[in-house]
Amino acid sequence: MAESAMTRRGERERYDIKLLQVDWGFALVLSLIAGIGVLVLYSVGGMSWEPWAYNHVLRFGLCFLFMIVLALVDLRWWMLLAYPAYGVSLLLLVAVELVGDVRMGAQRWLEIGSFSMQPSEFMKLSIVMALARWYHEAGTKDAVLSWKLLIPFTMIMAPVLLVAHQPDLGTAMLILLTGITVMIVAGLDWRIIGTAAVGGAVAIPFFVLFVMHDYQRKRVLTFLNPEADPSGDGYHILQSKIAIGSGGLLGKGLGLGSQSQLSFLPEKHTDFILAAVGEELGFLGAFTVFALYALAVFMALRIASLSHSHFGRLAAAGVTATFALYVLINGAMVMGLAPVVGVPQPLLSYGGSVMTTVMIGFGLVMGVKVHRYQELPRTQSFLSHFE
Amino acid sequence: MSEPSIFFEDVNEKQGTFHRRIFLMGGVTALGIFALGGQLALLQIVQGGKYKRLSAANQFNFRVVPPPRGKILDRNGNVIAGNRPSFRVLIIRNEIDDLDDTLDQISYVLPQVQDNRRRIVRDINQSQRFVPTVVAADLTWEEFSRVNLFAAEIPGVQAVMDEIRVYHYGGAFSHVVGYVSKISEKDLEAEGENPDPLLLHPGFRIGKQGVEKAFDKQLRGVAGAQKIEVNARGNIVAEDPDGTRPPTPGEDITLTLDAEVQARALEVFEQDSGSAVLLNIHTGEILCMVSAPSFDPNLFVSGISSKAYKLLNEYERRPLLDKAIGSTFAPGSTFKMATALSFLDAGVDPSERVVCRGSYRFGNRTFRCHGVHGSVDMRHALKFSCDTYFYHICNRAGVDRIAATAHKLGLGELFDLEIEGQKSGLVPTTEWKRTYFDGTKGRPKDPKWHPGETLSVAIGQGYTTVSALQLAVYVSRIANGGKAVTPHLIKKIGAVDTDFDFKPLGIPPEHIQIVRDGMEMVSNDADGTAFRNSQLNLGDMKMAGKTGTAQVINYDRAGTRKATQWKNKDHGLFVCYAPVDNPRYAMAVIVQHGIAGGRFAAPKAREIMKVALLKDPELQARIVAPPPPEPVEAAETAPPEVESTEVAPESNEYIPPVP
Repeated sequence: MAESAMTRRGERERYDIKLLQVDWGFALVLSLIAGIGVLVLYSVGGMSWEPWAYNHVLRFGLCFLFMIVLALVDLRWWMLLAYPAYGVSLLLLVAVELVGDVRMGAQRWLEIGSFSMQPSEFMKLSIVMALARWYHEAGTKDAVLSWKLLIPFTMIMAPVLLVAHQPDLGTAMLILLTGITVMIVAGLDWRIIGTAAVGGAVAIPFFVLFVMHDYQRKRVLTFLNPEADPSGDGYHILQSKIAIGSGGLLGKGLGLGSQSQLSFLPEKHTDFILAAVGEELGFLGAFTVFALYALAVFMALRIASLSHSHFGRLAAAGVTATFALYVLINGAMVMGLAPVVGVPQPLLSYGGSVMTTVMIGFGLVMGVKVHRYQELPRTQSFLSHFE
Repeated sequence: MSEPSIFFEDVNEKQGTFHRRIFLMGGVTALGIFALGGQLALLQIVQGGKYKRLSAANQFNFRVVPPPRGKILDRNGNVIAGNRPSFRVLIIRNEIDDLDDTLDQISYVLPQVQDNRRRIVRDINQSQRFVPTVVAADLTWEEFSRVNLFAAEIPGVQAVMDEIRVYHYGGAFSHVVGYVSKISEKDLEAEGENPDPLLLHPGFRIGKQGVEKAFDKQLRGVAGAQKIEVNARGNIVAEDPDGTRPPTPGEDITLTLDAEVQARALEVFEQDSGSAVLLNIHTGEILCMVSAPSFDPNLFVSGISSKAYKLLNEYERRPLLDKAIGSTFAPGSTFKMATALSFLDAGVDPSERVVCRGSYRFGNRTFRCHGVHGSVDMRHALKFSCDTYFYHICNRAGVDRIAATAHKLGLGELFDLEIEGQKSGLVPTTEWKRTYFDGTKGRPKDPKWHPGETLSVAIGQGYTTVSALQLAVYVSRIANGGKAVTPHLIKKIGAVDTDFDFKPLGIPPEHIQIVRDGMEMVSNDADGTAFRNSQLNLGDMKMAGKTGTAQVINYDRAGTRKATQWKNKDHGLFVCYAPVDNPRYAMAVIVQHGIAGGRFAAPKAREIMKVALLKDPELQARIVAPPPPEPVEAAETAPPEVESTEVAPESNEYIPPVP
């Protein structure tokens, strides 16, 4: 009944029908990941709901409800808001550049009254929406090889440069890679991809040597040889590896990890929470977390492939790309495969802004699932199709 | 556009490309997750053992547990130097990002940190980054608990309890026992290549002077180790009793000193500057060796302020100087026993009389005596301390013979004492003069010994300088009948009398008896120079002594016999032994710029000697139950102050015709 109802225009607008179409399996996987997060936060908080575990539950609960609500929003609204959201995000980034608050040596925060925010967080989502809309409206050939590709390229590079200048290289890299992924799945010509890959490989050493700030360069060099300075910059990487490695197959047990409990592990509740998982729950626990992340990515990609609208496909794929990049970069960083860049593990790490961004993104992905049969017009005047 | 747009605008073409590419994206993600899983397996399963060890090394730490320093006891087991608990706050620079910020936080709970901030910052900057530095010591229990509660929150800050040295008798033993203080770079270098880890412990104190320095290795003990579980800040989470090795405490050291005698000695000096040394004449045990004024050694344990140190160092009466062994003075008339013995050695008849008219003309110079003594023999020359007698005879003995006798008796000698810092002083000889005044190093060329110089030496002036310890040994050797007793400070446990069987000096006993007679008359004849100040009031126990007054400036040149400034006044000396009938103790007292020995040094000697005599168990028995008085023959010829008459008949023999 449900499938057939979805194909009928009048039926599928009903909210009870839409609620049935929400991907509850996907929601369960996300909840499981957040649940493991709560468990570990309870443990590293000294076997206590305070200070982190309780807040994590509360945050995830609220974000979960928000995600379900967003899933019911018509895709045309998402599309309508794509460019304005991108524009506002870009303006906020410029504002941060001009009047932003310097915290921990980087200019990332914008104070509005007593409320402070990080515009780069909004940009992660709005860049995906804006690119999806552009490709939705562009021709097939434009997406492959055309001078018009300079438009999405500029759309990506403007926020990337602004965020990199703050300087927040982690987020800048995340936005850049998300944008590139969207361009690739939209059908970018392999020759461009190849040329860019070779060019990037050549440019990176120059970038490290001449463009990076001292502390950023130090982090990269430390990553390449962490044992050279075990008490300084290499400390985080080394302690994280010790925590994971000492966990063994089955782990030391919740609340029994000496590395996480005795504060040898830095940022054990945020960026390095995966190390705490590895130490206390062992290979089995950490591998389960990775398996759940992989499952979430595949479920989201399947949703993307189901969509009948190109906007829906690219938006879902873009959000998934952001999510997957979070997981991979953080995982590599915690295990000593990448420099320490300050990227948290989504849903697992304690912290509000990333959780909010990711769950709003998944609200869009859910919306793509719910509205997969909706066909969006290609023209600028699609608004006329609203009732 | 030139191409037929209808083909490329096809929706299905867009979808097809997307599907292929999304499949690729899934594949890349899978590959990434797979790589992470591989690294996970490598770390946790393949290298798990290695990281388990590293984790344990992080978690457990060995901490040096300092041993309690050995106690220093007096001869009766009283603790002179002991230990007391001390609560302290330490900072480890290595674990702190912002020192100022950390100090601000500490001074919030401990306001005194703010006051000493400059010193603390200097200390921290001077020590190695991983070595803890003391920021506050001697906290009260309340302060300590407050810090303990709070310090756990500040990285690099530790509140610890350990032991600290304490000297129970204040300044009484400052010079002889010395003190401990923070280890310096120089001390550390002296320890050689691999210093004991104990030396780097912030609570460690090293002996800097006296017994503390000389016996530092024995007193120090061996450090223990404690296995502790620490967190990343180095704060102790738990202790592991199985991994703990207890420290070996330092050895206790028992001294020959008597705390009561010593304390009384410092007391009688009051504000005066000088020293007192009291020896057992048979064993050489030093019962008292005090230098005044003194200082509180406890100040140095926790670190003396530079202001306080400056005050001590610049004070005219030099409290930091050990005046018992480290300063030498002209002995003045206390030297006359040595001169007299050399006369006897040269064959001078002790009954030979010399007439004193208040001065003695030698060559074209007049040597003055301090009084007009009339006709005196050797005993009376000692009794009245008549300079004229010694001026008259000295060139018959010659300076070299005088010097040889003085050296035999211990003057100008260095003894095999356990602590450092002895000065030898000087007893001049013709040989010395020849080599010393050779015209080099700004000294005049005057190698010949002039007979007039012998006159100065004979009365203990001129070039002659001795230390208080030497004087005490010198009197001891006279009092014990000419045995080469040597002083020592460490009590020999279980020693018997034969251990103290000192060789004879080769001075005939009858010679020694003559000078002892002279000394006895000094103290016990009503007209002896120290009669008034030598009365012990201990029944039949008497003291024999000799006064000395050593000139500091040349009065002839100054034009007056009165010095007005303290530093120009004469030194007062007094040497004595007691009891006269069976000597046991000998002592020397020097009062720096103390004007006259009889008036200012003798009373001090009497008071100190009294304590020593009263504490001696054998002599105590004599006082408590005096032997029944023998039938008195020449009763009450002794001075009225003397209660007993035992020694009086003996001394009657020597009462001379009053000139």
